[in-house]
Amino acid sequence: MWSWFWFILGALYFILPLYATLEFSLQMKRDQISLLAYQKAFEDPQFIKTFTYSNVLALATILAGIVLFVPTAYWIRLRLPEARRLTEFITFLPFVVPAIILVFGLIRIYSTPVKIPFTDIELFQPLTTTHFGTNVLIVAGYMVLAMPYMYRSVDIGMRTVDVRTLTEAAQSLGANWFTIITRVILPNIRASLLSGALLTFAIVVGEVTLASFLGVNAFGPYLFLLGQHLAYQPAALSFVTFLLTWMAMGLIQLFTGGQGQAAGAH
Amino acid sequence: MAYLTLSNISKQFADTYAVQDFSLDIDKGEFVSFLGPSGCGKTTTLRMVAGFEIPTSGKITLDGADITNKAPNQRHVGMVFQSYALFPNMTVSQNIGFGLRVRKASEAEIKERVKEMVSLVNLEKHADKYPFQLSGGQQQRVSLARALAIRPNVLLLDEPLSALDAKIRVSLRAEIRSIQKRLGITAIFVTHDQEEALSISDRIVVMYDGNVEQVGTPFDIYNFPRTPFVANFVGSLNTAAAEVIDPEKGLLNMDGVQLVSAAKMDGLRKGDKVRIAIRPERFSFASDGKKANVLDCQIENITFLGSVVRVHILIGKTKFTMDTFNYPSLALPQIGDKNQVTCSKEAVLILGEAAS
Repeated sequence: MWSWFWFILGALYFILPLYATLEFSLQMKRDQISLLAYQKAFEDPQFIKTFTYSNVLALATILAGIVLFVPTAYWIRLRLPEARRLTEFITFLPFVVPAIILVFGLIRIYSTPVKIPFTDIELFQPLTTTHFGTNVLIVAGYMVLAMPYMYRSVDIGMRTVDVRTLTEAAQSLGANWFTIITRVILPNIRASLLSGALLTFAIVVGEVTLASFLGVNAFGPYLFLLGQHLAYQPAALSFVTFLLTWMAMGLIQLFTGGQGQAAGAH
Repeated sequence: MAYLTLSNISKQFADTYAVQDFSLDIDKGEFVSFLGPSGCGKTTTLRMVAGFEIPTSGKITLDGADITNKAPNQRHVGMVFQSYALFPNMTVSQNIGFGLRVRKASEAEIKERVKEMVSLVNLEKHADKYPFQLSGGQQQRVSLARALAIRPNVLLLDEPLSALDAKIRVSLRAEIRSIQKRLGITAIFVTHDQEEALSISDRIVVMYDGNVEQVGTPFDIYNFPRTPFVANFVGSLNTAAAEVIDPEKGLLNMDGVQLVSAAKMDGLRKGDKVRIAIRPERFSFASDGKKANVLDCQIENITFLGSVVRVHILIGKTKFTMDTFNYPSLALPQIGDKNQVTCSKEAVLILGEAAS
C-alpha cells in the first residue's frame, strides 16, 4: 500500500512538470490545441544544425570514451587492482568540480601554444583558435563530464564477468590483447557499455556550459538562447529532449533490465 | 629426454616463496597430478607452465625449447579452469572453435574440429547452446573440448572438478582420463582431492608449503609415503610414538605393546624414539588369520561408512582406527569387547624420529 503511495508520488514528481511543459507547448495558437510550436521549432534550420552537431559530438564522446575507459578499467581490474580506489575517486570528481571550472581550465591551458613543460618547445598551436581544435577540446571536456557514468558502467560490467579468468582462457587459446578486448571483453560488457553510452548521449546533447564558453553552435546553448526570446518553441524542444532521454533510459532497461550481465551479453 | 621439464623453478610474491626449487620431468603422454592443500604452490606451478606467472628463478622447457619467459598465447598450452571460463557471449561451438579462429584456421577445418570435439565430450545436442543454458558438468566438458581443440602440447587442468557435485566429479574425472589416454596428450592436473589424484594419475607430485614432498605413482605415494606430511595427507593414517628395541629385527615398543616393522631402520639405534604409522585398512581381526603383529585391543566405537566399516580400537593406551569392508556376513564385535587385531610388518611404517 505505502509502496504504491511513494511510487505514485515519485511518478507525479516527474510526470507533472513534463505534462505542464507538453500542455504549454501545445497552446501556441490561442484557444486551440496544436502542434504549431513543434512545427516552428523543427522548421528552424538552426535546430537541425545544432541538434545534428550535438549528436555528432555525443557519438564522438562515446567512441572516445570507449577507447579510453574500456582498456583503462580492464587493465586496472586485471593488473592494477590497487589503483581502483584512486580511479574511483577520480571518476567522482566531475560531480564535485563544476563544469565552469573545467571549461575555464581548458580555455586557459589550450588558448596558448602547448609546450613541453619547462621548455620552449611547442607541441601544438592553441586548440581554441581552430574549429577542429575546439571540437577536440569539447569532446575531451564531455568525456570528463560523462566519466562518472561511462567509467563506472564499464567497471560494473567487468565486475559481473570474471575478466581475469576469461582473459587467461583466451590467452591460453592463443589470443592477443586486441582479440581479447574486442572479441571476449567488449561483447560481454555490451549491456553496461550501452548504459554508459546512452547516459553520455543524454548529457552531451543537453550540455550548455562547455558549449557556450567554447563558443560552439551546439543544441544546449541553442535551446538556452531560444528560451530567452521565445516561449512555446523551447517548451516543445524541452519536451522532445525529455522524450529522447526517456527513450534512452528505456533502451537501457530493454537491454539490461532483469537480466544478468552474462545473459544480457547474448 | 623428458617432454616437459621444470628445472629448479621458484616463485616469490613479495617476501613469500609460493614455490621453491621445484624440479620435475614429465614424459610425453603422461598424466601428472599436483596434489596438496590450499596455498601449497600447486596452482602457481601450473600457472608458470601456462605462462600466467613468470618464475623468479629456474627454467621451463617444452619439447626441448625454453618457454620460461614466453607469453601465454605463444605456448600452445591448453588450460581448463575451475570456474570453466567459458565465453558467455559465445555458443558451445563458438567457444570450442575460438582457439582455431584466433589461429586463423580455415572455416572448413574449424567446423570439422568443432564437430570432432563436440562428439568427443558427448555434447552433440548442445552445440548451439550458450554456457548459461548448460549444467556445471556440461560447461566443464565444453571447457575441456575448447582446450583440446587447438591440439595443445600440454593440457593443464586447474582443479577442474572442484565446482561440481560428487557424482559428476567421479564420472567426469574418468572421462578426462579416458580422453587424455585416447589422445595421448601430456596433462598436468591440479587438485587438493587425494582420491581424484590417486584415481587418474600416472604420477603424483605431493606439494606442501611451496616444496615437493614426494613424486611417485599413486601406488607408491599411498603405500610408501616418504614424509610425515605425505603419510598424513594421502589417505587416513594412524600414527603413534614408539621406541626402537632392535633395529636389525625391526622390533618396536609402543607404550608397552611390541610391534615388528619391515621399514628400514638405517641409522636408528636401540632406545631411539620414532613415529610409526599404520593405515586403517591394514588392520584385520586376528580371527580372520594372524599376521606378524597380533595386538590386544578394546573396541571403542563402530562407524558405518557405506562400503567400509570403521572400527575405533584402543591398543594399549593408543587409539587407532581400523577399516574393514562391509559385507552382509561381517561379524562385528560389540562396543567394549576385548579383541585381537593383526597387521603385517610391512604395514608398520616409520615416518621419522618422534619429537621428544
